[in-house]
Amino acid sequence: MLEIRDLSVLYGGLRALQGVSLAVAAGQFVTVVGPNGAGKTTLFKAISGVVAAAGGTIAWDGAPLLTRPAAARAHLGIAHVPEGRQVFRTLTVRENLELGAYPGAGRAAFARTLERVHALFPILAERAGQLAGTLSGGEQQMLAIGRGLAAAPRLLMLDEPSMGLAPAVTETIFAAIAQVHKEDGLAILLVEQRVAEALELSDHGYVLETGRVVLDGPYQTLLADDRVRRSYLGLGES
Amino acid sequence: MFENILNAVAAGLIIGCLYGLMCIGLGLIFGIMKVVNFAQGEFLMLGMYISVYLVAGFAALGIFGPLVGPFVAAILAGPVLFAGGALLHRFLISHVSGLSTAARLDQGGYGQLIVTLGISLILQNGGLILFGSTPKSVLTPLSARAFILGPFPGNALLFLNQARVYACGVAIVVAVVLWLVMERTTLGKALRAAADNPVAATYMGIDVDRAYRIAFGLGAAITAIAGGLMATYLTFTPFVGLDYVIIMYSGVVLGGMGSILGAFWGGLTVGFVQQVSALILPPQLQNAAIFVVFLLIVGLRPEGLFGRSAERA
Repeated sequence: MLEIRDLSVLYGGLRALQGVSLAVAAGQFVTVVGPNGAGKTTLFKAISGVVAAAGGTIAWDGAPLLTRPAAARAHLGIAHVPEGRQVFRTLTVRENLELGAYPGAGRAAFARTLERVHALFPILAERAGQLAGTLSGGEQQMLAIGRGLAAAPRLLMLDEPSMGLAPAVTETIFAAIAQVHKEDGLAILLVEQRVAEALELSDHGYVLETGRVVLDGPYQTLLADDRVRRSYLGLGES
Repeated sequence: MFENILNAVAAGLIIGCLYGLMCIGLGLIFGIMKVVNFAQGEFLMLGMYISVYLVAGFAALGIFGPLVGPFVAAILAGPVLFAGGALLHRFLISHVSGLSTAARLDQGGYGQLIVTLGISLILQNGGLILFGSTPKSVLTPLSARAFILGPFPGNALLFLNQARVYACGVAIVVAVVLWLVMERTTLGKALRAAADNPVAATYMGIDVDRAYRIAFGLGAAITAIAGGLMATYLTFTPFVGLDYVIIMYSGVVLGGMGSILGAFWGGLTVGFVQQVSALILPPQLQNAAIFVVFLLIVGLRPEGLFGRSAERA
């Protein structure tokens, strides 16, 4: 479904990504892990089109994606839940969800997805009329994910959904992600610092370091890899 | 004395509604695009002249008549300036605003100052060439008629200029319609989303550049309609915008940037202060009174009278 080949991105003269290749099949759960500054967020921005690619290709359903304007990409079924949540703070919770459903597919399915989002995160139903800027960090993250789901996407991209959240809230959020993946068959592309939890959920994982993919494979392979165990899981050699 | 106060208060509220509409136009541009637009006064001026020529055209065609014609003309100035504003954005403003400038140090701020100031000067002097320097106004018998209410206590009579009363009514209707568009429609929500967080709006599939173009066109159109309405009771030259651009900014800042209702109340406050201050101040100092009140309010409530503060402490 999503196929990235040799993607390079320049950021102010620096190579933020060099020759990254990555694929997400329909219904697959793919995780990208790596240290800060490895280029994970840049990868997402390149897929969404807010950062220009310097080289390589991205194919969506076999058709080139890089030539499509950024605003057109959400309409193709790619939903981006950005780092730091980025909810519309001066709009209400309900309006945020409505804007998530801006693409045609989301608009058509809005009644159903709204019910789904409220079932996943009941607090959002309670706070429907409240300004999003007044929500707590965890609630804003739930809203950001709900807004992504409201687009009725085929691929949900999540950029560090656990960032700055209490462990209990993180658990709720990971559970919800696992649920939409399993029950709705939604393809997920997840960037996470919480490597153990993230890899556990996923079918396939990539390790990104200084703009390159240094390792990839099914999650069992990654969990067994010494480098991953040492650098990301804080475990000794097995 | 009571009669004077009564009439000044009524005039303040009526003029205030027109200023309110005028401020909404600037508020849209300032609030959604964060563009400081010096040419907003010239949009008002163009609205006035378009009204004058449309009314003359209606008279030549024998349609609408002298009572309804001026208000139809004022409304029609809206679509004309919408198109003009959208084109201006497409070819000039978009180069110094929006996502393309987000990476620049000043976010395109200096460019905006120069470009909008330039547009303002070109429109003023272009107006001088096209329209001439003779003061004009929209001719309607309504501006010479008044509703007379009363007598109130102390035998006070309230005189309401009919042109102003009808203009005020139309201004309120236009403001309410715009408010409904911004609050209830998908377009309005998309515009507010683009104002709030343009990058996230792009992730939702909103074409932010197009949203800004619509906002700029709408902002120009709304101020032009206000201009057309004000043209029914005052005379003006191509430099009339200078007087009003400052009033618009004080109204918008008073109301709290980024809120339509706020811009309206801000404009209303400014108009009210201006008219009521006429009771005690000579006409030359009326605008000074606006700024005294402006400084007081901004000093006491920096977020504006109706500013939303969605920040979590």
